[in-house]
This record gives sequence, C-alpha cells and structure tokens, in this order.
Amino acid sequence: MWWKLLVGGLFVLMLTGAFCLGPARGGDPSDELGRQDQTARRFRLMSWNIGYGNLESETRTHSEDLPAVAELIISNDPDAVAIQELTGEDQLKILLALLKDRYHGAAASIGSSDRVTAVLVKKQPGKTAMPRFENIRAADKFASAATFRWTSQAPEIVLISAHADAFSASRRRTFIAELIDWTRHGTKGKTTLIAADLNFEVSTQKQSHLFTDNAKHDSESYATLLNDFSDLARGAGATAVNARRIDYIFGPSTASAARAEVLRDAAIGRMDHWPLLVEIDF
Amino acid sequence: MITQLRFELRKLIRSKGFYLSFAALAAFVLLMLWGFYSYAQQKTSGLAGEQFKYTYESKSYFNGLTFALYSLIFAFSLVIPIFVVMNAGSQIAGEQRSGTLRMMCIRPVSRVAIVLSKFLVVAIHTYLLMAFFIALNLLVGLLFIGWGSLELYPGPLNLVDQPGTILRDEAVWRFFYASFSGAWALLVVAAVANLFSVLFENPVTAVAATLAVYLTLYIVGRIEFFITLSPYFFTTNMDFWRDVLKPEIPWASFNQQAATCGAYIFGLLLLSIVIFERKDITN
Repeated sequence: MWWKLLVGGLFVLMLTGAFCLGPARGGDPSDELGRQDQTARRFRLMSWNIGYGNLESETRTHSEDLPAVAELIISNDPDAVAIQELTGEDQLKILLALLKDRYHGAAASIGSSDRVTAVLVKKQPGKTAMPRFENIRAADKFASAATFRWTSQAPEIVLISAHADAFSASRRRTFIAELIDWTRHGTKGKTTLIAADLNFEVSTQKQSHLFTDNAKHDSESYATLLNDFSDLARGAGATAVNARRIDYIFGPSTASAARAEVLRDAAIGRMDHWPLLVEIDF
Repeated sequence: MITQLRFELRKLIRSKGFYLSFAALAAFVLLMLWGFYSYAQQKTSGLAGEQFKYTYESKSYFNGLTFALYSLIFAFSLVIPIFVVMNAGSQIAGEQRSGTLRMMCIRPVSRVAIVLSKFLVVAIHTYLLMAFFIALNLLVGLLFIGWGSLELYPGPLNLVDQPGTILRDEAVWRFFYASFSGAWALLVVAAVANLFSVLFENPVTAVAATLAVYLTLYIVGRIEFFITLSPYFFTTNMDFWRDVLKPEIPWASFNQQAATCGAYIFGLLLLSIVIFERKDITN
C-alpha cells in the first residue's frame, strides 16, 4: 500500500512540475523587440523575397503584386529595402515608380539565373548624393549592393541584397563564402549589412535527420557569417511558409536590433515569404 | 522489497542479454570510431579545403569530446532504447512465459514489490548502459583522437542556435550529467515496456509493441506534417536530456521536460502496478 502511495505521490509531484515549471511565458521575442521605444531614430531595414512558392507556375515576382508591395514599403517607411526574386530591371523600374520617387534603387545582373536581387535606398530630404550601386559576383550568382551615407556623422553603410540557392546546400556555402570574401575586401571602414534569403535553417526545433551533409554545409555557412556579423533578426521567428526562418539580416557585431519583426499579414498573392523588418542601433 | 530487489539483480547479472547489451554498445562505439575517423580525415584533407574556403572543421574541432558527443546523440535515439526495451519488456512477461511468475506471486511478497523491484532493476541497467556508453566513448576519444574543448555549431545535431564552446573540463562534467539525464529520459520507454510486459504474456510481443510505439512517435514527431502534434509525444519530451550538452543549460525548460518525463514514468508505473495487482495469473 505504502509503495503504491509513494509511486502515486511521485506521479502527482512530477505532473505538478510539468505544469508549473518551464520558461517564463514572455510571449514572442519579436513582440518584445517590437514594443521597445521607437522614438529614437534608428536605421530601418526591410528584407523581402517577393517571389511565389515552388508550386506556382511562375515563382518569380508577379508584376500585378508590385502596387501592394510598394504600398507596404511606403507604410513601413524603411530607410533601405533588400528585394529578392524580381524578374529583372523592368520590374524594378515599375516598383520605383510605384514608390513615388522616394527611393533610389538598382538590381543585380541576372547572370545565369532567371531572377535578380535589388536594393532600394530611401532618398533623404535635402540630400542630392546618390547611393553607389554595385554588382557582387559570388560563385555563379550575383548579389546587389548599395553604398550610402545614412547620417552625416555615421560611417558609410554597405547594404547587400542576396539570394542563395534554394536547392543545393553546397552551392549556398560557396556563395556565402564568396560574399564574405567580398565584404572583407570591399567594405573596409564601412558598416556592412547583409539582407538575404539564404534558403537555410539552423533551428534547434527542426530535427528531421540525425546528420546530413546538407545540414553540415548550412551549419558551415551560418558559422562563417557569424564570424564577421551578428544575426540581427534571430528572435523574429519564421519568415517563410512551413514555419521556416530562411530570411536573415546580418549586421556588424557592434549593431543591435531594437526591433526585429516579421510582418506576417503582409504576404501578397501566393508569396511564400513575409517581409522582415529590423530597426538597427549602430 | 530489498530481498526481492536482490533476487532481481542477481537474475539480471546472470542473464546473457545484460552482457549482450554492453557488447553491442561497444561494437557501436567501434563503428562510430571508424566513421568519425574517416569523416575527419576526409574533411581535413587538402581536397576539402579546395572545395570550400571556410570551415570550422579542423584538427582541433575533431577531438575526443566531439566524437563522444556525436556517438552519444546518434546512439541515444535508436540504439540504446532497444536494449532498455528488451530488458524492461521481458521482466514480467518473461517470467509469465517461463512459468515462474505464478510461483513468485504465491510467495509472501506483494505484487507491488515485484513490479517495483523489477522496474528498479531496469532503471539500474539503464543507468549502467548510459554510464558505460559515455565512459567508453570518452575513453576511446581520448586514446584514439585526443581531447580538446567541445565546439558546437548550429545545424548538424540541432543542439545550439549559435556557435558555442564548452571548455574541456566542463564538457567532461556535462557528459557526466548526461548519464543521469539520458537515463531518466530512457526510463520513459522502459515504463512503456514495463506496462506492456504486464499486459502481454509474451515478452516478444511486449518488446515489439514498445519499439513500435517508440519508433512511430519518434519518426512521426520528425515529419513536419505533424508539427502541431509532436509536442504531445513522449519522444519529444525525452529530448530534454541533450540540454546538459548546450553551452548554457536552459534550466527552466530542462526541469519542465524532466518533470514531464517523470510524470510519464510514475504514471505508467502506477498503471502497471494497478493492472498487475488485478491480473489473474493462470499459467
């Protein structure tokens, strides 16, 4: 009888522990970041892959979505935007026009791909200096970069918009290594930001395999990026369908994100990514 | 109870399965050593360097502690549970199959004491398996690969979200903690096997049923179709044991998951006792 009571008592104790213990429920970390003081002027950066999901016949940006994309950009008023999966220069021109001449922008070369990345930089009132746009060749792809001065006191910012291969972890790793090489040599003395759809996940929540070479390559890619940068939107959560965090914004280790938020009600049409918005304190 | 426990321990030590489980784990360590050694050779050779510019895989990364970590994580989910289930599943059903259970029950010992002593023996065996496996991995790692700090990177083992390091001495302590957290997590499977051992009269059925439940939940919990269901599987709760191998142990969730596993263990054990007390043993 006593033994049975002891086992029963332990069962109740453990059950109580299972319900009462556990991490404090502070809500979504991105909400915490989002609630912080927004009065101070911070650099606001948006990264958005505006292409469609894999099941669609056309997975690149649909021109009919561009007015809604422009409207969302205007309503969030980012200082710079990194866009992925445009079909080319023509779509960028349409987007810039829809943004009512508030942004400068340039797209990367198309190279052997069928889609391009682009960077948009907000025009500052009273400033005539144009951002300097560059094409970055990394592996067999191109990324776009814009160098500009956000405030007169701060160092120049180099913003890179990149899109890594969706199907090969090995190609992603080579692409990222070459992108890092470019930042190491081409951005000395400047503040470098990488806003990208990197197409990999390193979450501890996803444990579909014990060990794969693909997971290993993506781990190497992420570790390489973290050698030089910090992952500014770490707490923002999933950025794409199927609860995947595959869009990232990396900044210098001295920078911190005062706000990092995935705008989850903002997808248009059959887009499979949501915009990632980060406010950065340098 | 103590006398009954002593009998059960003697039976465990005299069984061939007891030694087989340690021999099989030792064989797994040798297999891991070969796999790890050839992988490390391939990844630190000149060819790998030509293919990729940057890598954290270096001679210092591939050390005995990394070997022990990989080996432990790979074996924990699919190898060690088999031996735990084999032992736990055959405890009551095995006695019934061989016709000795009826004789045990007519002796002046309560049925609760029989179930508890058998489960305690399973718990001791489980801990010994974990401790042996960890100690052997560390020893083999030290002798054949050499020691260093434990470097952890996000991705392959899904252990951390950002790169981290556990210094050598601290890492050895963490492996020591893992022997307890791992054994606690494995006791959930042992409790399921114990229940099936009470329910079924054939030990093979009890073992097969437990492994079927365990593997089904383990696999289903890793398919993203069932992402909303997986938090309710005991296999998901069992993963808490790995938290002690993270640079910063998340104590709050560790304690919660450990308590959840405890609720499974004692809940299933209580159910086994209640059923066994009412069981009509006819053969």
